[in-house]
Amino acid sequence: MRAEIHPRSSDSRSSNRSAILFRRGVLVALLAAAGIATASAEPLALLPALVAPASQEHHVGKVIFVELVTPDMAAAKQFYGGLFGWTFTDMQAGGLDYADASLSGHPVAGLIQRKLAAGEHRQPAWLSFIAVRDVDATNKEAVAHGAKVMYSPHNLPNRGREAVFADPQGAIFAVLTSSSGDPEDVMAAPGEWIWSSLITTNPDTAAAFYQTLFDYEIFELPGKPGMQHLMFASDNYARAGANSLPSDKAITPPHWLNYVRVDDTAAMTSKVIALGGKVLVEPRMDRHGGKVAVVADPSGAPFGLMEWPNAETKEVSK
Amino acid sequence: MNTRPLRLSAAIAVSGIAAVTLAACVVAGAGPGYGGYGGDVGMGAGVGYYEPIGGVYGLWAPGYQVGPYRDGGRGWVGGNGPHAYHTSHGVRSPPSIPSRSRSRR
Repeated sequence: MRAEIHPRSSDSRSSNRSAILFRRGVLVALLAAAGIATASAEPLALLPALVAPASQEHHVGKVIFVELVTPDMAAAKQFYGGLFGWTFTDMQAGGLDYADASLSGHPVAGLIQRKLAAGEHRQPAWLSFIAVRDVDATNKEAVAHGAKVMYSPHNLPNRGREAVFADPQGAIFAVLTSSSGDPEDVMAAPGEWIWSSLITTNPDTAAAFYQTLFDYEIFELPGKPGMQHLMFASDNYARAGANSLPSDKAITPPHWLNYVRVDDTAAMTSKVIALGGKVLVEPRMDRHGGKVAVVADPSGAPFGLMEWPNAETKEVSK
Repeated sequence: MNTRPLRLSAAIAVSGIAAVTLAACVVAGAGPGYGGYGGDVGMGAGVGYYEPIGGVYGLWAPGYQVGPYRDGGRGWVGGNGPHAYHTSHGVRSPPSIPSRSRSRR
């Protein structure tokens, strides 16, 4: 580019050179900014499909996936891999480390690493994804019935459409319309998720809320006076329970708790401790004839262990 | 000494830094997966969260049960009193979880 077409004074030449330098500087800056934008706005990595090959199954109200946000991915993988034999496939999702966990080739969970800032006191937790046919319609219903939208409906390539809510009592859950269909209704193998509980301040009103969203049949199960235990069913299968918060509830907020099937709850709690986790509720016999326990991984994320003795369960006909 | 080029260079540098910073700010707030929850819940890639910190997990007293029936609710005596939720199953007992083994696709 020629700066001078006609002879000019030195001030004029200097001014012209300055203008050129300025334009070049801005151009360089914009190119640099564009470079950053390109690098940072990379699309989310393709998460694995929930079901492969894709199916036409849909089970509204079923917990079809769980995800953990952890401040220490390496520690989480070591813990869950050591405990359940999960294997992991690493990927980048939106600039964050994501690990797809599987067991015997079946996806069991997603792990996301998000560092906690110094002084940030938050509880790592497993997030339950409940199947719906229409995330946007569920979003509307949830809001109309007192839920708080934590993350608006959005698409995840290859995974489907999802949204995250806090129910009226504060328990956080997600809904997902899987683009590959929902996992089939089968007995969980040891190391897979088998059950979910909503532990909350008022199971009765919570049940009404979730019934609105997922059209659950709800059964009241016998329990101690003042401690309600409800069961949510869809497709004629038990999908989840709802329990009153334990009596010392002041320090435990309403939450969803998911349980992994194990062969021996007591042995697994010992293994949890050996791997750096904690036992929050010691093994105890439960309604179905197997022991349950609540444990936490090394970052503090709670989850349950549940034995399910090998005899066939019964499906009750309508 | 002519200081104009120096001043201009400084101006160029400042302009460049400002432009880069502005672009970076725009990028950080854009696109899927960068939404913030605010409040007590933090958002990672748009598919995860942290809960409010808890202290001690609740103590489960004897008789506190969380699992489903495994036998079609043998011994279940119903519980259809007044509830906030709708009951329609009448006297049918509660179902259990799926028992079928995984099929080979």
